[in-house]
Formats: sequence, structure tokens, C-alpha cells
Amino acid sequence: MLRQFKNPIFAILIACAVIAGVYSEPRQAVIILSMIGISVILGFYNEHKAEKIVENLRQNVAIKAVVTRSGKTSQIDSRFLVPGDLVTVYVGDIAPADMRLVKSKDLQADEATFTGESFPVEKTSDGLHLENPMPQQLTNYLFMGTVVKNGSGQGIVLSTGKGTQLGSISKSLVRSHPETEFQRGIRQYGNMLITLTLALTVGIFALNALRPDRTLVDALLFSLAVAVGLVPELMPAIVTISLAQGASRMAKVKVIVKRLVSIEDFGNMDVYCTDKTGTLTEGKICLSDYRSLGEEEDERVLTYSLLCNSAVVSDTIVGNPMDTAIWEHAIKLDKQQSAVPYTKIDEMPFDYQRRIMSVVVKNKGETLLISKGAPESIFARCTHAEISGKLRPISSVQKAIDDKFLNLSQLGYRILAVASRRAEEKTSYSADDERDLTLLGLLIFTDPPKKDAHEAINKLKEMGVEVKILTGDNELVAKTICDELKVPVKRLVNGSELMQMSWTDIKKVVEETTIFARITPEQKLDIIKALKANGHVVGFGGDGVNDAPALYEADVGISVDTAVDVSKEAADIVLLEKDLLVLSDGIKEGRRIFGNTIKYILMGTSSNFGNMFSAAAASVFLPFLPMTAMQILFMNLLYDVANMTLPTDNVDEEHIKKPARWDIKFVRKYTLFFGPFSSLYDFLTFGIMLFIFGAATNEALFQSGWFVESFWTEVLVIFVIRTRRIPFFTSRPGKWLLLLTIACVAFGTILPFTILGGFLGFTALPPQYWVLLFLMVATYLFLVDAGKVFFYKICKF
Amino acid sequence: MTGVLGLDLFQWWAACISGGSVFLTLVSIYLYVSSKTKRKTGGPRGAGALRFVVDFIFVWVLLGLLIFYIVSIDIGSPAIFAAGNILVEAFLIVYLLKNKKGKSDEP
Repeated sequence: MLRQFKNPIFAILIACAVIAGVYSEPRQAVIILSMIGISVILGFYNEHKAEKIVENLRQNVAIKAVVTRSGKTSQIDSRFLVPGDLVTVYVGDIAPADMRLVKSKDLQADEATFTGESFPVEKTSDGLHLENPMPQQLTNYLFMGTVVKNGSGQGIVLSTGKGTQLGSISKSLVRSHPETEFQRGIRQYGNMLITLTLALTVGIFALNALRPDRTLVDALLFSLAVAVGLVPELMPAIVTISLAQGASRMAKVKVIVKRLVSIEDFGNMDVYCTDKTGTLTEGKICLSDYRSLGEEEDERVLTYSLLCNSAVVSDTIVGNPMDTAIWEHAIKLDKQQSAVPYTKIDEMPFDYQRRIMSVVVKNKGETLLISKGAPESIFARCTHAEISGKLRPISSVQKAIDDKFLNLSQLGYRILAVASRRAEEKTSYSADDERDLTLLGLLIFTDPPKKDAHEAINKLKEMGVEVKILTGDNELVAKTICDELKVPVKRLVNGSELMQMSWTDIKKVVEETTIFARITPEQKLDIIKALKANGHVVGFGGDGVNDAPALYEADVGISVDTAVDVSKEAADIVLLEKDLLVLSDGIKEGRRIFGNTIKYILMGTSSNFGNMFSAAAASVFLPFLPMTAMQILFMNLLYDVANMTLPTDNVDEEHIKKPARWDIKFVRKYTLFFGPFSSLYDFLTFGIMLFIFGAATNEALFQSGWFVESFWTEVLVIFVIRTRRIPFFTSRPGKWLLLLTIACVAFGTILPFTILGGFLGFTALPPQYWVLLFLMVATYLFLVDAGKVFFYKICKF
Repeated sequence: MTGVLGLDLFQWWAACISGGSVFLTLVSIYLYVSSKTKRKTGGPRGAGALRFVVDFIFVWVLLGLLIFYIVSIDIGSPAIFAAGNILVEAFLIVYLLKNKKGKSDEP
């Protein structure tokens, strides 16, 4: 509740109340304070409701920990861990607490968050004898927030939450997402408002203070009230509730929004970058076959790939999808025992630079170095190939191997190559030992395209979203998948080409390219940055450890529930189902919310500004204030209440069809054009009140007449502004918006006749006035609609 | 009643409402010209005096309304004021229907 008072508008309102209470009427102070109370309650209620919705949604994608308690293993929300729990971690997990390792298997953790060390650190369960160790020296500890890059481990929880190393330094480590397009827009809009409000407020105060018949206090109160009237103080609450309700609706289509502010960018996204795995394809990679280079079968290809494998095999198989698929295939063929006689001596884990992994194993006194990885990377490290038991120089068979690889790739298969060599015995091995290898065979994987992928891509295209594929796969695999899905490929660029390009070239090439193949995580990041620099709102869908930086960088990071923790954590939106079709539903919802937020902003900047301009001008030539400070503030409050249901309004189909963009120039032009309409009709009301109803000597009558007209025009104009079509006939407003607006207009109409109206300084209006008011407001609304034709159709904004 | 700068209340009022209308007219011209410049880079579009007159119907209505409002309020007749409004509304309804019938507006 106290957070509501941080809004600077309330500081102005409190200042108004104090000035009114001390120097003017205590009655004004009471009313202003009551309005502060109502505004705070409204803001608190909406934000509390929004927070509750978000909290419920987050529960759906909370990070889980595999915990063993009293010998029973289960998966729980990591927030419920307590010291003493035994936790198991696997590749891609984020350590959920500070833990002392009791078991580890090839465990490597990325501790960059603490140490800045970009390479993963090896972790073991071995005891240490160190005095006053630094956290980075504790190799048998796994710290909360570190990412398991390789292997698996088990540890006892020592501390959780704020008690952890991360907790103690968390404030300095908060990783903020880059500003979204929507946030940029709101900031620019805020700056525009501040400039206009300051200029107008100072001007009004100066003009009124110079008048001999007006006190300084009245001039100050009036100018402050106009300032408050100009600022849409409920905008944060309206935007938040609008986003939260949208997030709630999106959850029904299994799209979980983790960061509310990303919803609008989700709707405005015009480029969606995705890895093909799991989004365009089934995401379940299967080992289809393993082949030697000759005609006959060679079981070593399978056995060696089981040895050179990072999957953790226990009751379940956990690890990267290809290594897991190798194990699943071996188990299916009952050949998993073939690796048993070998003892692993060392391992050079996979990384995205080498694109291979290697192990050193020993069997019957023979030491072997086995490498498995991307074919080009393996080929580059081979001197020979073994074909039908005979060793041949790789150069003599290179063409045949390339043809075989090309044929398989063109069929959409993903290929890994397996090679080995006898290795000399030594204490440790490094990537430099991955040389002079003999190529043994190929592992052939399939990941078929999803049945609904074609339809989903077409839908995105219809909605103005271009799909780009950013994949670590080779260009042939990516191209085959695109052909099967009938995705037109404008251009294909691979990672090595991209590496040679300057930033200017990259910015150019990202516009023309559909497929980026064989790219590294860093290149994914560059592509997203280049697209953003070109003015696109970029979405990125990924689920792997290496996708986390791109998920952070994109305007909208989209992951799936089955993704590794680090990707889910980095994502703004998590899909509970790996289904591209839900994306288009989410985009529609985002566009709907954006449409309604823009309506509120356009309303605020046009009719609000118009009214306040006329108040300012009238205060100069009228013998009294056109409205008192408390009347302006009350009208402002009533106007805000009327807008509370704007987030539930219907949005026209044309706003859903294309991505919309924040365009501050458009908002400025809109304000400049539509603002004066309401001023003109305010002046007209002044004329009627002064020269037809003789209100020049009746301050209360004048103020009542203008209050009602101003409120009617300010509130009813939403039905014209909310659509580019014919209001009510071809575009119907939401029922809650209609009902609440009618209720507020009715309340504003009867107010001058009530005790509260008398308290606010209003008086009953003559019956003839209502007839003129009705006709005048009708003309105003028709004229604004004609203005819409001029603005949108003739000027084409 | 003589007020600020020696102008009476009616003169002040007429100056303000005329100022507002002129401002809106100038903004309309500015938007029209800037959109025309934009269109020139995107492709040709018919121009000419008739086009200008037709495109600016909204502005003619606005200026017509201004004169009508000043005159009717100067006369001080609610009946004339009401009748004039009804006429303008009828005209605007026809104009709006003519402009929107059977055409979908671009967002």
C-alpha cells in the first residue's frame, strides 16, 4: 500500500491539500485527501490483483529441485528446500541452494556470476584442507545460481535464499533485462508529458498570479490541479492490470508470462527467431542408425559413442538430446553392455568452439582416444579413415565421405562422426590431443518436422511475423526442414561466413536471411542485436543452455517448460506445450493488450489535454476560476474510474492482424490534432453558460455547466477514439467498458443536484441546458469521427 | 463588462474559440502536407484543387461551425443553436457513412 505513495502525483496532491488546508478552505483539503485515499485504494487493489495473478502463473514454471528426504526422492519447488536436504543436479540445472557435494560425476559448473570466470569450473566431492578459503577455492561446493554445464552431482544443502553466497551479494548481481520496446515507448511518452505539464503549469500559474483579483494560493492550487489533471496517474495501475489479465488469459492457452512487460512486445514482435529443434521439429531426437564407412556393420561406432557420451545414466537418462538418444538406441538393441569393459581415464567436454567431445578410455591394456562431434570438426582432425577394416588416407576418400554426409543431410538427418586413435598414456589430456584421428563411422539422427509447424508458420506470416531459423545444425539439415515445411528461404548464411562479416554487414545480412546455420551462441546474440538495431521487435525461442544469452537479449525470450532451468529463468514467456500454434494465440493477446493501452494513452493525451488547455485559457479572461482545484481533481478521479475497465475492451481485427509499434511521433500528432476538439467544445460551453444562461455573475452555475460538459466529452469520446471504424455499428465496445462509462456519466450528470455536488461547489442546471448539452456533445462526437476520417484516411496516419 | 487587455467577455470568448479553430485548421494543413510529402516518396496520388476541396471537407465543416456558433451565441437564441447543431449532425452522419461504407480502414 505504501508503494502507492511513491507516485509523484500523490506528492502534488498532498501539497495541494496542505496548501488548501492552511491558506484556503479546509473543505478543499478534506476533499483532496479523500481523493488521495480513493486513488491509493484503487491503485493498491489493481496492483495487488495483478501481483496475485503473476504469482499464480509463476508457480507453473517455478524451478524445481530433485530432492531426497528420508530416503525418498521427489521433485519439489526449489523455494521449499531446507538445509540438510540431499539435492541432485544435472546438466542445465541452476543450483537451487549452496551445497556441499557428496557425489559428483564429471561435474562442471559455470560460476561466472561470482567470479567472472567464463570457463566452467570442475567440481568434485573430494575433501579440502584450506584455511579461510575464498568461495572460488571451494571446489566441493556448488553455489546457488551457478549453472551445471556438464555432468551431474549430489550435495547436501547448507544454506538457502538470502543465506547463500548469491543471497549476500544478490543486490549487486541483479541482471536486468534490456529495456523493451514497450518500456522505451512509455519512457518517451512520460518525457513528453513532463515537458508539456511543466510548461502549462508554470504558464497557468504565472498568468493567474499576475491577475490582481486572484490570490497566489488560488493561482498555485489551480495550476497544480491542472498539472494533476494532465497526468494519467492511474496509467501504471491500468497497464499492470491490463497485462496481468492478459497473462491470465494466455495461461489458459498454456502460455505462461513470467515478465508482464514483455506481453506487449510479444504482440508487437515482427521477427521470431527460433532454433529448429523442438519448435519446428518434434524435438525428440532419435538415433536412427549408425554406419561404418564400408558396407559391413561396425559395432565400435555405437560402443565408442556410448563411451564418448555426456549423458548421465541411472534409472533415467539425463543429458543432451543426442547423447541420450544414443543410450536409448543401445538399450533398445540391448547393446548397452558393450561399453562396460572400458575404463574412462579422462574427458575433454563438448564446447561450441570445437563442436566435439573426446574421452580417453582403457581396455585390455590399450589406451584409446575417442572423439565424437560435428562431422566437419571431426574430419578436420582425421588423417585416416577405416573402410572395411583397411586404413586409408582421409584425402583419398574425402569425396566419398563428403557425398555420403551430404546425401544424409539432404534427407534431413543430423549427423555426428565418430573417430579414434591409440593414445599414449599420460596423466591428463587436452584438446590438443584431438589430432591424427581415424574416422570410423557416422551416427544418424532424425528429428522429424512437427505436423502443425507448417500451419503455425503460415499463421505467423499472416500476422506479419517473419520466422528466422538460428540453428547449430548444418545448412543442409536446416534447408531440408524448411523445404518440408514450405518455408520460403530468402538466403542461407552459415556461422563461418558470419564470422568474417563486419557489424554493418551483419545488420544488412540479417534482413535478407531466413536460415543461419552452424552458428555459435555468440552469433545468435549478434543476430538478435543486429535485428534490434534495425528497428525490429525480436522474439527468440530456445530451450538449451546455450540459448540463455539470446533469450535475455531478445525483446521477448520464449522458452518451453521442458527447457533447462537456465533457459527458463532467462525467458520472459514459457510455453507449457512445445507448440508453435500457441504462439499465435499469445501474439493476438499481446496485440489486444497493446491496443487497449494505446487507447488509454491517446484518450489521456487528447481529451485531457484539450480540457486542461481550455481551463488554462479561461482562467485568464474569466472573472473567476473556470473550475476550482478540487472540482478538477474530482473530475480527474471520476474519469480514471470510468477508464478502469478499458483493459477489458474489444480490439478491432485490423489491430490484431499486424504488429503495432510504439510511435511517439504518432502520439504527438494525435494529441496536436484531437486535443483542440475538446478545447473548442469547452469554449462553446463557456459561451452558452456566459451568454445564454448568464453565468458571468454565477460562478457555481458556470462551473457546474462546464464540469458536466467536460466530463461527458472526456469520457464519451472513448467510444469514438477506441476504433477506426464506425463506433457501435462496425465496432462494438466491451460490455464492462460500456456499462461503467454509462454509470460514470450518469453519476457526473446527477452530481450537481446532490449534497456531494453542493459540497464540491456545484449547483443545479436549468432544463434547457441539458437539451443544448446533448446536441452539442453529439455534434462534438460526430466531428471527432469526421476528424478520424481526415486523420486516418486522408492523411493516412 | 470589460476584462483583460480591454476586451469584453464576448470578444475574449470569440477570440479563444476562433483561435482554437484556426489552430486546428493549421494542424490539419500541416498533417495533410506532411502526409502528401510522405506519399510522394511512396508513390503518386491524384492532386489538384478539387481534391483539396474534397479532402478538406472536415475543415470546411469546422470553420462553418465556428461562424455558426459565434453568430448564434451572439444572438443568444437556444433555438437557433439547437437547430444548427441538428443540421450539422445530419450532414456529418451522411459524410461519415459515405466515407466508411463498404471500406475497411487500414490500421
